Order: sequence, then C-alpha cells, then structure tokens
Amino acid sequence: MGAVAWHKHPRSRVGPLAAAVGVLVLLAQLPLHPVLDRLCAAGWAAVLIHLVAALPTGRLGSPAVRAVVALAYLNELVMLSPLLVTGLSDDLVKDVGTFVAVLVGAAVTAMQWMRWRRTSVPGRRSLTPVLAAAAVAVVLLLAGSPLWTPEESLLDMGLLKVGLVAVPLAYLATELRTRIERGAVADLVVQLGSAPEPASLRAALAKALHDPTLSVGYWVAESRQYVDADGHALSPPPGSVATRVDRAGEPVALLMHDPALLEQPTLIEAACTAAALALQNERLTADLRARVIQLAESRRHVVQAAEAERRRLERDLHDGVQQRLLSIPMALSVAESSLPPDAKRARALIAEAKDMSLAVLDELRALSQGIHPAILTERGLDGAVRELTLVAPVPVVLTVDLPARLSAEIETTAYYVVAEALANVTKHAAASRADVRIDQAGDRLVVEVVDDGRGGADPDGSGLRGLATRAEDNGGTLRVTSPVGGGTRVRAELPCA
Amino acid sequence: MRVVLAEDNVLLREGLARLLAEAGLEVVSGVEDATALLADVGRHRPDVAIVDIRLPPTRTDEGLRAAREIRRRYPGIGVLVLSQYVRVSYTVELLDGGAIGVGYLLKDRVTNIAEFTEAVRRVGTGGSAFDPIVINQLVQRRAGDDDPLHALSERERAVLGLMAEGRTNQAIADRLDIAERTVEKHCTSIFTKLGLTASPDDHRRVLAVLRYLNA
Repeated sequence: MGAVAWHKHPRSRVGPLAAAVGVLVLLAQLPLHPVLDRLCAAGWAAVLIHLVAALPTGRLGSPAVRAVVALAYLNELVMLSPLLVTGLSDDLVKDVGTFVAVLVGAAVTAMQWMRWRRTSVPGRRSLTPVLAAAAVAVVLLLAGSPLWTPEESLLDMGLLKVGLVAVPLAYLATELRTRIERGAVADLVVQLGSAPEPASLRAALAKALHDPTLSVGYWVAESRQYVDADGHALSPPPGSVATRVDRAGEPVALLMHDPALLEQPTLIEAACTAAALALQNERLTADLRARVIQLAESRRHVVQAAEAERRRLERDLHDGVQQRLLSIPMALSVAESSLPPDAKRARALIAEAKDMSLAVLDELRALSQGIHPAILTERGLDGAVRELTLVAPVPVVLTVDLPARLSAEIETTAYYVVAEALANVTKHAAASRADVRIDQAGDRLVVEVVDDGRGGADPDGSGLRGLATRAEDNGGTLRVTSPVGGGTRVRAELPCA
Repeated sequence: MRVVLAEDNVLLREGLARLLAEAGLEVVSGVEDATALLADVGRHRPDVAIVDIRLPPTRTDEGLRAAREIRRRYPGIGVLVLSQYVRVSYTVELLDGGAIGVGYLLKDRVTNIAEFTEAVRRVGTGGSAFDPIVINQLVQRRAGDDDPLHALSERERAVLGLMAEGRTNQAIADRLDIAERTVEKHCTSIFTKLGLTASPDDHRRVLAVLRYLNA
C-alpha cells in the first residue's frame, strides 16, 4: 500500500508512513539483534497511529491530533528505555507503555470518528473505507493488548494481522474508486456530447464530482461578474469553495463545490477539462440571458419614466395653461356684456375671439387627454374604467377586484386595454352586451373584455397591435380570441407584484 | 342670491367672482381648497356653492367629494360643480342625493354669462343644471334598435335633452322658439313613449329622465 500511495501521491505523507509500518512489522518478525527487534516492535504501533491519524491526506489536522501522535512516539521511546537505562523494571515499563498505547489508539479512533461525523458527503466517500479499516485495526490492537492477554505477543495475534492488512486494503480500495470516478468523468464527456442542456450540465458535473451541492457560475465579461444559467447575478453558497475554469486565458465559469473535493484535484481538473467547451457554450448563453434581463429592465424603466412624464405633463397642462387660457374667453364675455347695445361690430368681433379661444382650449384639452387620461389621475383605474363602461353604447357588466392601487404604468396600460376593446365593441362587434373583468391572479393583473358580437377581429389591426406592444413594453402579454360568429375576447396579463 | 366659490386658480376665481357680481349675484366668499369650502359654507349658509372638482392638496377629486358632503350636510344649499371635463360617473354620483339643487357643468359654460348665471340661479333655487355633453353621452349610449328612444321624434329628443339639463318648460320653449303649450304636449308624449310617469314637478321630472337615460 505504501509503495502505491507513494507513487500516486508523491507529495502526501501517507505513502512513506504506510511503507514504514510495513517495513517495521516485517523487521520485527525477523530474528535480528534483540535491541533492533525491540525497536521495530515498539516503533510500528506508533507509526501506525500516526498513519491512522493522518488519513486520508497525510497531514495531521488539529493541534490535539498532533499532541496525541507526539504522545504515541514518546510512549514508544519510554518503552525502549529499559534497554538504555539499567535498573528499570522491564515488565512494569512494558505494561504501562502498552496501556498508554491503547489509550492513544482509542483517542485517535475517537478523533477520526468525530471528524467523519463532521465531514460532508464527498469527503465521507474517501474517508469511510480507510477509517473503518483503521478503526478495526485499532480495536483489535486494544483487544490483543497484553494487559489482558499477557502471554501473547502482539504480532502473534492472527486477528490483529487481519486488521493490519485491512488498512492498506481499504486505502487501495479508495485509490481504485478514484480511478472509477475518472470513469465518471468519461461518462460526463459522453453526456455533454449528447445533451447540452444548461440544467443538465450542472447535474452532470454534480454527478461526476459526487457533490449534489455543486453550482456553476458563468463569467459575464461586460459586467465583470458570475451569473447563473438564467442570467441572474450569483453569490456563492456558504461553506463552499470555488474552482475557476479558464479557456484560452479567459475565465469561463466558476464551480462552487464542497471543500472536500480539493482532496481530489486531478478529478476536478479532469471534469473541468471535459466540461470546458460545454461550459464555454453555456457561458455565452448565460451572457445572452443576462443581457435579455438587463434589456427588459431598462425597457421597463423607460416605460415608467415616460408614464411619470406624461402624468406630470397632463397635470401641468390642466392646472396651468388650461386654466389660464379659460380666463381669456371669461374676460371677453365680461367685456361683451359691458358694451353699449349699439356696438354691433365690436360685439361680433369679441364673440369671434371668444369662440376661437374656446376652440383652442378644446383642442388643448383633447391633446392633454391623449397624453394621459385625466380621470386616471382623479379616480385611479377603478373609477376610470367605470366611466368607460358608463359611456359604452351597450350594457357592460364591470367586475373589479383589486386589493391595492397598482403602479401608474400598469394602471394606464390596463385602462387603454379596456378603452380600446370597448371602442372596438362599439365600432365593429355588433354586440348586445359586454363584460369587463379586472382582477389579480398571483403577481399578474388580468384584464379581460368579452363581447357577444360577430367576432372575426384582426389581432394585427392597428388598435390591437398597438395594445399588444403596450402590454409587452410593460412586461405583459395580450391575447385576442375572436372566432367568426363567436364573440371577441381580449385578455391582457400584466405584472403587478 | 349669495354664493360661496371654491377655485384654486386665483385668476379664474377672481374672474368668476367679477362675472357673478356683474350679473347681480353676491359672492360672500372665495376659497381655494375643500376644507375652507366646507368651513365657509357652514359659516355663510349661501344659496349656492360653486365648486371646482380638482382642488388642493392632491388636485384629484377633492371638490367632488366636498360637493357631496355639502349636499349631505346642508340639503337646502345648492351645489354647482365645474370642471375641465364632464363625466357620466360623476353625474351619477351627484344624483345619488336626488336632483334638487344640484348642477354639473363644463367650465367653459361660464363664458356664456346669461346662460351660466341662469344655471346658478336655478341650482340656488332647488333646480338642476347638467351639461349637454353628459346628456348627449347618456342619450347616445342607448343605441340599441329596440330602445324606446328610437320611437321619439327629432323634436321630442331635443326637448328630452333640454329637460334632462334641468331647464323649465318656459326655458325650453324659448330655446326651441316654440310655445310653452307645445313643450308640454311633447313632454306628455315623451313620457308615454318611454313608459315614465309624468310629474308636474320639474325636479322629479329631471331625476326620472336622467334615471331612465342612465338605466
């Protein structure tokens, strides 16, 4: 095992440690010098404890683990002490030393158990077999302790041998699984070739890397941020680490995954290489989606700003110029009434001037009404639509169910939908009645105008086409159903969250 | 006749006050918002209050709401509502409290001094004054072929419209240049054709006609 591990992970200490255990166990069984025998017999247990504590990375984690391992080595030194210092009771030292060795073994097993409990799913995959085998070995070490089986030498215990063999076997099994997981990367390549769906790309990577929490962020060069497959800005999930995937020196994507995957850098590297092209494709798509979202947003802002501007303009016209303009014919009529009865020519001229200014006022009023319907300002959507139904030439049943005031641009759009649909009922439908329904379904405002007329309305006629554009400008939709002879249904759905 | 005037535009308020004064009406108070209007109507108890619909602070429908409040609190005081636009729905709301001493005209009507002061006097004495635009809208919306309105003659329809505006038989006769007796005959015929009960009372007659048109 040591040789295999050393060869595969030259930077990890697992290889040298495992090799040391093997060599020491072998040497302890050969009849060499008694001091050397003693040294090997005492040494291998400490190195084994070091190995178990250091699995699977080869690094000792917390200071507590380091302390326990140091204690194990110290204990072995103490057990050798009768050889060096005369006058010490060999049996006593041996008994105490073995007892300490058992305690240390139990401590390391407990620590590794706690570590396994804290570990995430991918981490457990590599830890479980090795730790399980190590635990068996240490338990057997405890069971075979000369404290309760004094006659038996540790190494004579057949069971213990089985346990000792189990540790390297388990490690080798883990190594083997790493190879199988490379096979999963190969599967990934095949999968990417056949189904390049954005959601399945994430799922395929998650499967290949055995990390269900894995998420993918795509680089958007313009806004210099990572976005998800739908184009929304991304923040990494807590506790994850990120691996960047580059292509031709440019960042392509960010894989946010479990920190445990860092223990298998070659696996990540293989998966990233395999998925780089698909990720690059997906990055371009996500980039596009992000732009679409941005565009829709700015379109909405433009619509909102235009709406606010129109409202302001209507108010300014009404409260300002329309009122002042009216004072002109008013003053003229006072002048008219104060003329002497025989001033016929002056009276005619004043009357003409008065009519002209009233005509201008009328035009201004129509213009202002076209900019923004005044009744929306005065009464909101409910009151404004009520007025429309009251002046409609056919009986209209109006149902309005709105929990709250809507945003200005949505109110105006809904108003125009009803106005245009009712105008069509009047002009073309030859209907005997109509229904107008305005209510909220979740985050959508539904505006529906239904008549019982002759149908056959052209959804691409200028009025309905303009209405559809207005609905789309506000992030909504407009649908016209008008079978010949079957009445007309105009239905708009607008966002109102 | 005493008048309280509510109009937020100073130029218009002063012009209107001068115009009414020249016609022999006494403007006891000119205010610029609904709160002051209600206070001054309570203090002065005028014959009629002339109210602009859009008043501060929000300039939406404060004036209309104040007008309805005056009608509720002081049934004897006439209310004439003015606005840059006339709405059928506002007419219906005003008629909620009956057709006695109530009017609703387009602001432009003030420039015909004789007609306008006549309307103010009518409302101030318990009559009504509705804008021909609203009446026209009401008449036109009854476009169904089977509507009894189609049975009316041209002249009868003209009489119906003037009647709905709140004019007396005498005023209708003057306007159409016909005898008052002829107007009376037209009225009887109209009421029969529309299936309405004829009433000698002008106020109730207006309400009946408007209710019919708005049905």
